[in-house]
Amino acid sequence: MEGIKGAIKDALDFSDFPKSERIGIIIFYIYLLIFPWVVSSSFARAVMIQFLLFALYGMGWNTIGGYGGQVALGKAQYVGISAYTVAMMMILFNIPFWVSMPIGVFLAVLWSFMIGYPLFRLKGHYFAIATIAVSLVLQDIFRNWEFVGGERGLSLPFKGTPNFLYMQFKSDVYYYYFMLIFFTLGLFYMNWFRKSRLGYQLRAVKANEDVAASLGINVRWAKIKAYAIASAFVAVGGAFYAVYHMYIDTSSVMHLELSILIALMAMLGGAASLWGPIIGAAILVPLDRYLGSWIGGAKGLLGLDLIIYSIIIMLVAALEPRGIWGIVEKVRAKRG
Amino acid sequence: MGFFLDAITSGILMGLIFSLIALGLTIIFGVMNIVNFAHGEFLMVGMYIAYWCNVLIGLDPLFGLPFSIAAGILLGLASYYLLVRYLLRGPMIAQLFGTFGLMLFIRYLALFIWGPNFRTVSHGLLMGKSMLLGNVVVLDLSKVVPAIVSIIAFFIVSYVINNTKVGKALQATALDAEAASYMGIYADRMNALAWAIGGGTVGLAGGLMVNFWYITPEVGLLFVMIAFATVALGGFGSIKGAFYAGVIIGVIETLVGVKAPSFKFTIVYAAYFIIVVFRPQGLFGWKE
Repeated sequence: MEGIKGAIKDALDFSDFPKSERIGIIIFYIYLLIFPWVVSSSFARAVMIQFLLFALYGMGWNTIGGYGGQVALGKAQYVGISAYTVAMMMILFNIPFWVSMPIGVFLAVLWSFMIGYPLFRLKGHYFAIATIAVSLVLQDIFRNWEFVGGERGLSLPFKGTPNFLYMQFKSDVYYYYFMLIFFTLGLFYMNWFRKSRLGYQLRAVKANEDVAASLGINVRWAKIKAYAIASAFVAVGGAFYAVYHMYIDTSSVMHLELSILIALMAMLGGAASLWGPIIGAAILVPLDRYLGSWIGGAKGLLGLDLIIYSIIIMLVAALEPRGIWGIVEKVRAKRG
Repeated sequence: MGFFLDAITSGILMGLIFSLIALGLTIIFGVMNIVNFAHGEFLMVGMYIAYWCNVLIGLDPLFGLPFSIAAGILLGLASYYLLVRYLLRGPMIAQLFGTFGLMLFIRYLALFIWGPNFRTVSHGLLMGKSMLLGNVVVLDLSKVVPAIVSIIAFFIVSYVINNTKVGKALQATALDAEAASYMGIYADRMNALAWAIGGGTVGLAGGLMVNFWYITPEVGLLFVMIAFATVALGGFGSIKGAFYAGVIIGVIETLVGVKAPSFKFTIVYAAYFIIVVFRPQGLFGWKE
């Protein structure tokens, strides 16, 4: 009991951040709370839901990729596993979201252990490319598996009436607030995680694996655990994606570009910091969506939105590899 | 039996192209420890150059090869001097994303300029011609000649790297860039050289591939993944490894493709994963 109380206290305790950051996050959070009342455009709401979703993905990736320093690029497969679980269970057995989501997350975590065990024999580039390879194998299997819809993908059945159990609502405001709840829980978890034993172990592993091992840290096991936590995070997001969009296929929930986007947002915002993935998602998601809707649809400008997007990625990678949070910290260090 | 031999030979021929694509990637990795995501996009540009040479000035894809090589070299050098140089200061993940950004940039620039249509070169000296080998195996000339060119390219590149002064300097940089710089070898120039060779060889592969493959801005992704698998299977940085691994992957891909076409690349990735888990340095690798 004491342990749980302590963990909750840790999760809710943001007092080690500077005052400016605490005020910033409170203002931002109030904005998130009132957002649907201020903005009624359904496009803007969709963008915000996507932002929250990617912030959740990014926070999950941050455990293994940020704190642990392992370049895992196959996160989309866990999004896919849980999204497909939720969709299939609803189609076949009419099982509500709140039952199928934990099962989907469980399956994703189980798969992450099975894959993580051999995967973490590898390091550096070998690891990064192997994560991509596994993810591609799984995507190919799902794409050719008629049972789960194959190339056509899966459409979730409409329930007719708005339904909390199946997460089907008339207005996207409901989706927004449910996503905000997941996001908030994720944020509290990450706030606990960074102060937890595993969090410190991972930072030691990232700094120097040999030293970490000599201090008695089971390096491989720490990585596998963090990888499983990351998978659980993206699996929650994947389950939500399935009920929110009502349609999934391998290119929407298992594609390589989703994997890379997840890692990219966390890195762009600033890996290994609590705010990094949120900042990354807050910049990249709206940028992508608004560029896409302004330019992407225009005649004769096919691809221009992604050209701009890619230039930004290259600039950040070349000029400030620690991401936007790195710039903030630099400015702060200069001020003293 | 005839079908089996057919599959094996066409697998080897395709595999030699995979090897040539992977050659540049493995050299770049060997010299400076960078995985180039944009490698498939270099290939795509090489293909487009050959295509436009064919369409605009009626050049046969075979004679368009120098242009594809030149385009690849220029692209490699431009990428190095304008982007990769600055990425080197950052951690590995920033390097990955930097070249990933480059990949998106080149791909969507191609989409912007040339549109999403599939294009093919329809007339060429090699197309539609074939020869018989021992009355059993039919060899498609549009694949045989590219495979032979690929072998020649491997010979030239290995000769240059093993037997010339500049090649030895390149190897020295690959082994230990800092020590090499004490010996008066500019790492910066060697890196640029690696990108030039990498771009040139993959441009050549692109020029060869228009003989039998369609061209779209998206064509790079599939081949960059195969090239990753090839390089990792052969061992990062190993030229010999890339050569044999490409052939192995070509044969696996074709054999599986006969029975289960939609899984032919799945098997390649799965094989890569299994091999690399048991032998992380690849078949011929020397670099951890």
